[in-house]
Amino acid sequence: MTNLILDFRIALRSLFQHRRRTFFLVAAIAGVTGLLVLLNALSTGVSETMIRAATTLSSGHVNVGGFFKVTSSQSGPVVTEFAKVAKVVEANVPELEHWVHRGRGWAKIIADSGSTQAGVTGIDIKNEPDFKRVISVVSGRIDDLAERNTIMLFESQVERLKVKVGDAVTLSAQTNRGAANTVDCRVVAIAKDMGLMSKFGTFVPIETTRGLYQLRPDTTGVIQLYLKPQFVSESAAVAGRLRIALERAGYALMDSDASPFWMKFQTVNREDWTGQKLDVTTWEDEVSFLTWTLKVISVLKVVLLTILIAIVITGIMNTMWIAIRERTREIGTLRAIGMQRGGVLRMFLFESFQMGLLGTLAGALAGTAIALAVNAARIQVPLSVQLFLMSDRLHLSIHVSALTQAVVMITGITTLAALYPSYRAARLPPVSAMSHFG
Amino acid sequence: MTHIVSVQQVFKNYTLGTFVVPALRGVSLDVEEGEFLAIAGPSGSGKTTLLNLIGCVDTPTKGLVRIAGNATETMSERQLTRLRLHTIGFIFQSFNLVPVLSVFQNIELPLLLQRSATTKERRARVEALLDRVGIREYASHRPSELSGGQRQRVAIARALVTRPKLVLADEPTANLDSVTGTNILDLMKELNRTEKTTFIFSTHDARVWSYASSVVRLADGQIVDRVTAEEAVRAGGVPGQPSPRAT
Ligand SMILES: Nc1ncnc2c1ncn2[C@@H]1O[C@H](COP(=O)(O)OP(=O)(O)OP(=O)(O)O)[C@@H](O)[C@H]1O
Ligand SMILES: [Mg+2]
Repeated sequence: MTNLILDFRIALRSLFQHRRRTFFLVAAIAGVTGLLVLLNALSTGVSETMIRAATTLSSGHVNVGGFFKVTSSQSGPVVTEFAKVAKVVEANVPELEHWVHRGRGWAKIIADSGSTQAGVTGIDIKNEPDFKRVISVVSGRIDDLAERNTIMLFESQVERLKVKVGDAVTLSAQTNRGAANTVDCRVVAIAKDMGLMSKFGTFVPIETTRGLYQLRPDTTGVIQLYLKPQFVSESAAVAGRLRIALERAGYALMDSDASPFWMKFQTVNREDWTGQKLDVTTWEDEVSFLTWTLKVISVLKVVLLTILIAIVITGIMNTMWIAIRERTREIGTLRAIGMQRGGVLRMFLFESFQMGLLGTLAGALAGTAIALAVNAARIQVPLSVQLFLMSDRLHLSIHVSALTQAVVMITGITTLAALYPSYRAARLPPVSAMSHFG
Repeated sequence: MTHIVSVQQVFKNYTLGTFVVPALRGVSLDVEEGEFLAIAGPSGSGKTTLLNLIGCVDTPTKGLVRIAGNATETMSERQLTRLRLHTIGFIFQSFNLVPVLSVFQNIELPLLLQRSATTKERRARVEALLDRVGIREYASHRPSELSGGQRQRVAIARALVTRPKLVLADEPTANLDSVTGTNILDLMKELNRTEKTTFIFSTHDARVWSYASSVVRLADGQIVDRVTAEEAVRAGGVPGQPSPRAT
């Protein structure tokens, strides 16, 4: 114990002795740590924003959707007798907080002076408090979606269609049997854009989707499961379990495919079956076409950090070599008067460890401060970025676990970088005490 | 009478590339406890090499080195380090204090490495030695704030703090002016007398021979003779004069 304190003391004082050199290294370590913290905060922030938007606009944490095929080439995104399916869900997902069900469809939306193609989500607005909380309405009333044949559009669609609240639009689509059908809807609410998904998304009462596709009242498009917060990260496991439970209950299931439902029509239509098949997906599956941004950020993170950490490692090793050369006689002396090799090794590792800890703590602190400042500044991101963020603001998310991880990782790396030089220092012969250099 | 140091037919070769430099060529030497032995000889005669072997910081090419009854050739690096820590004190020509530690901490260091003494015991021992070598008021100073003579006093205190049986000093006065050097030798001599510590020091300065209980004269890696201080002074070195070439 006293020996550890001794090694620690010599290490700390030696660092202070060479404070200029130490300062630069610590600053470099702090810079890398700060950057890591910020990149983590960015990817976590984006991911959290995405989950929030995705899980209100187009997905639950876990979804039970599926297709019903009247003939082998005519499919609709339909779950028949959904109340029975919901029973299986409730019985097998203890992590469930609540579930909602929505109609799914794709239609041409026609107004007097324009038209657009868009997804049509049937929603029971009375049972969707979270949805109301996430959507920010710029005109009209979201609660009016409870009325028959109404529609909520996003700002960018309104621009194209040139409509306002109170105007009528016509939804035109093919029913699952192949017949053309239309429904007239009154615009009751216009919502602020929420990224890419709002470009192609509209919301109508669920009866309207049933009417448009001529479906029975016991059908829906998808059952969206919302899990208790602590289980959200386990969505995939829950989905896997639910899949088995549904199969046991006698349902036919589609093969697991990590893509949104609207990308599955082609495959489903090509397959040779009729009737009902269910499809269990997670929120990540449904927004997989967006999660590439997260992948880009993490690849960027890895590349950048690899380079920077390589620089830090080189810096640490160089500094250690210099220190060992400068202190050859000191090391020899310590060895001569009775310090074991382990003591010398520890001493130099401590030096690096102390620099690492100091640098990473400073970096973590600085990174956190910057992230908090960015959040406080409520920085508006450019439109193109909004599409992927599904938010108009940049949100950086700092978690204590991520901070700890960064501090531990980079301190560990800096300490390890000193391992070889320290090992060599420990093996310097005690006769080097007699060298007349330095 | 057991010998604290027993060197038998020791050879030491250094290799410089393909060259073999014979630094010691068959040296045998016994030192009794309590001696104050000088190893004298011109530059390159092998004084440092011999002290390094006695101090177990280097190993002979051939021959046996026995320190306080330990056959060093059979010992591991770890055991040799322990032997140095517990049995031998070192005083270096260039003091070799740890620059980042205070005078007190430098002296305390071997006790910390030994791990046996309590904080209180260490404190008492270090303070006693600070008084003994007369640098009490510099206890909290860094070595860089001290003069050469003061630094060598710190080094002496550090060498003695563990009450080693043997203290080795390689040209302890070479980096000091003659007055300071004389004072340092006075101090070492006094400690040799009062603490019964065996001292072996090397020098190429004949003026200091008179301090020694006996003088071993080296030349070209071999022992020329071993004489009492008076004999040595009479035979070759005149105090106050540069050392004679001993060949
Ligand atoms: N590490 C080494 N590598 C090669 N040769 C060495 C080494 N150390 C010493 N020598 C050689 O060994 C011989 C003895 O050297 P040593 O240092 O023991 O002499 P010394 O009596 O202490 O001399 P000085 O009075 O100059 O300190 C010299 O010829 C020297 O050049
Ligand atoms: Mg020498």
